[in-house]
Amino acid sequence: MKTIHWIILGIIFVITLVLEFTVLAGYDSHWWNAIPAFYAIFGFVICYALVYSAKFIAKKIVNRDINYYD
Amino acid sequence: MIEFITIPGVILILGAAVISFFSEKIRPALFLAFPVIAAVVILTRPENYTVTGSLLNYDLVLMQTDALSNLFGIVFALGALLAGIYAYHMKELGQQISALTYAGGALGVVYAGDLLTLIIYWEIMALASTWLIWARRTPETDASGMRYLIYHILGGGLLFAGILWHSVVEESIAVESIPMEYTPANILMLLGVAVNTAIIPLHTWLSDAYPKATQTGTIFMSIFTTKTAVYVLIRMFAGWELLIFFGAAMAVYGIYYAVICKDMREILSYHIISQVGYMVCAVGIGTDLALNGAAAHAYNNILYKSLMFMAVTAVMYSAGSSKMFHLGGLYKKLPWVLGLYVVGGLSISGIPLFAGFISKGMVIDAAGYGGYETIMLVLLVASVGTWLSVGLKLPYFTWFDKEEYTGELKPIPVNMYIAMGILAFACIFYGVFPNALYTFLPFETGYEPYTVYHIVEILQIALLTFVAFWFLRKKLAPELTTVLDLDWFYRKAAPAVRRVFVFRVDRFYDDVEEAILAMARFLSEKFKNPMQWLNPFTDKKNEASRYSPSMEVVMSFIILSFLVFAIVYFI
Repeated sequence: MKTIHWIILGIIFVITLVLEFTVLAGYDSHWWNAIPAFYAIFGFVICYALVYSAKFIAKKIVNRDINYYD
Repeated sequence: MIEFITIPGVILILGAAVISFFSEKIRPALFLAFPVIAAVVILTRPENYTVTGSLLNYDLVLMQTDALSNLFGIVFALGALLAGIYAYHMKELGQQISALTYAGGALGVVYAGDLLTLIIYWEIMALASTWLIWARRTPETDASGMRYLIYHILGGGLLFAGILWHSVVEESIAVESIPMEYTPANILMLLGVAVNTAIIPLHTWLSDAYPKATQTGTIFMSIFTTKTAVYVLIRMFAGWELLIFFGAAMAVYGIYYAVICKDMREILSYHIISQVGYMVCAVGIGTDLALNGAAAHAYNNILYKSLMFMAVTAVMYSAGSSKMFHLGGLYKKLPWVLGLYVVGGLSISGIPLFAGFISKGMVIDAAGYGGYETIMLVLLVASVGTWLSVGLKLPYFTWFDKEEYTGELKPIPVNMYIAMGILAFACIFYGVFPNALYTFLPFETGYEPYTVYHIVEILQIALLTFVAFWFLRKKLAPELTTVLDLDWFYRKAAPAVRRVFVFRVDRFYDDVEEAILAMARFLSEKFKNPMQWLNPFTDKKNEASRYSPSMEVVMSFIILSFLVFAIVYFI
């Protein structure tokens, strides 16, 4: 990832935030719409949670040697 | 008769017979003709067209068309055609016949108007698809194919039992919506369909067999079995609330394994379970929007899932391995395959302007506005996992991560690129023009995918998931492992099962045989000469051959008769 890529992603993110606080300011169909940038936080936190919990499950329960069933 | 052979399923199954008469050179091209004929038939039939027949006392509806069956019929014909193009270089007759028969079975189910016709095509699918696993001809795939077949025979048996029970109780064999009542017949039918839908915990046949099937076989398998079952769920079990929770559980379960697995085909196979989970969940919600979402998601999923399977199979064909441990750094050598895969990856993750965006949102919204906000969040978790596992992890460790791939690469046949190119075009086309799909959906809902809310929602999730992935990517680095699933219980338990159900049974029969023989020996010994114990009060050798009835015997019989008479008379 070069710096330019990060900048592009950053710009897109800022645009979504601007849209959220202008066009969608009065939007309220789910309880979580009250939380600012909810979906961004959601994506970040859930991704971390998924990776760490999957890693835990893999290590403790499901991972075996490649020739386990042979 | 002429009507009978224009049924789409029959066309493909007859086609499978026809191609066997032709040489290796013509066969792949001829293969393609039959899905095209089937598609033409589907497109030229009027709404609510039916073909009827009869078997014993039953009036069968061999073909019945409506918006829902046509939607699945068209995408199945298209899928068979494109998978056929992709497999154009594959010359093996057995696989071609089984693939075409399998596709015919799927089309047959979609157009079956009664349950008996449906179960026949259902079983054809199970049998034909098994060969796509066995055709690898390794001990591992022999065993896996057998497990697959047994699982599907079990599922088909449950469904058939349910159908028979249903036909007796309801006196109807029509394929129609069933009210949510947990009667034995309904439970049996639901279980039978659940096996093919890979509803957890009945999913292990999929994750076990799909990664082991032949390269082109997996493409066919990823298209038909689960989606046919989703069609039957939409038809018969719409609004069964139980399915919501099982669907949401599938969506997350599949994701976990897709994050854990390190083999490209395993990742995509588990991811099928997750995607089908969305559809099952939508069927459970059962509103017009939800059912539209399930049908549209099945349609789109066939497009981008087969595109992704084709791309990883192309890598596997070229590099000779589907394990990401052996890959990495392929972006300079297989850039087109990467590009085509990424179109599929962006589609499946529901990024705007790609096909998944227009159907996934429908399912998620149907949950959110149908009173299931928690389920909506669970589906969003699965969305994050989708983007993480098949949108980022798989391409990153296959095409990037290392500087450059150093192994040998076989050139990829042009026909593979053609099939993938058409699918990638379709993914973008439906993403840009959602109404091209919406007009064919069974219900009118006026759903609008391109709202500011939807776009902000998915972009924020996707961007921040990407950032988190970038920080954590080293944690997901590929390694060589076997990942256990619930199939452990019948794979590792095999010795115990054999002890109980084979050896024990054997020994029981042995014991019974022994007992019977002993009894026979005892009786023949005793009855060789009954006089020995009928007349023990003599020291004469009672040899039967020399014996002549004497007075004592006659007298004892007279006394015995008198005694019996006296007892019967006086009591």
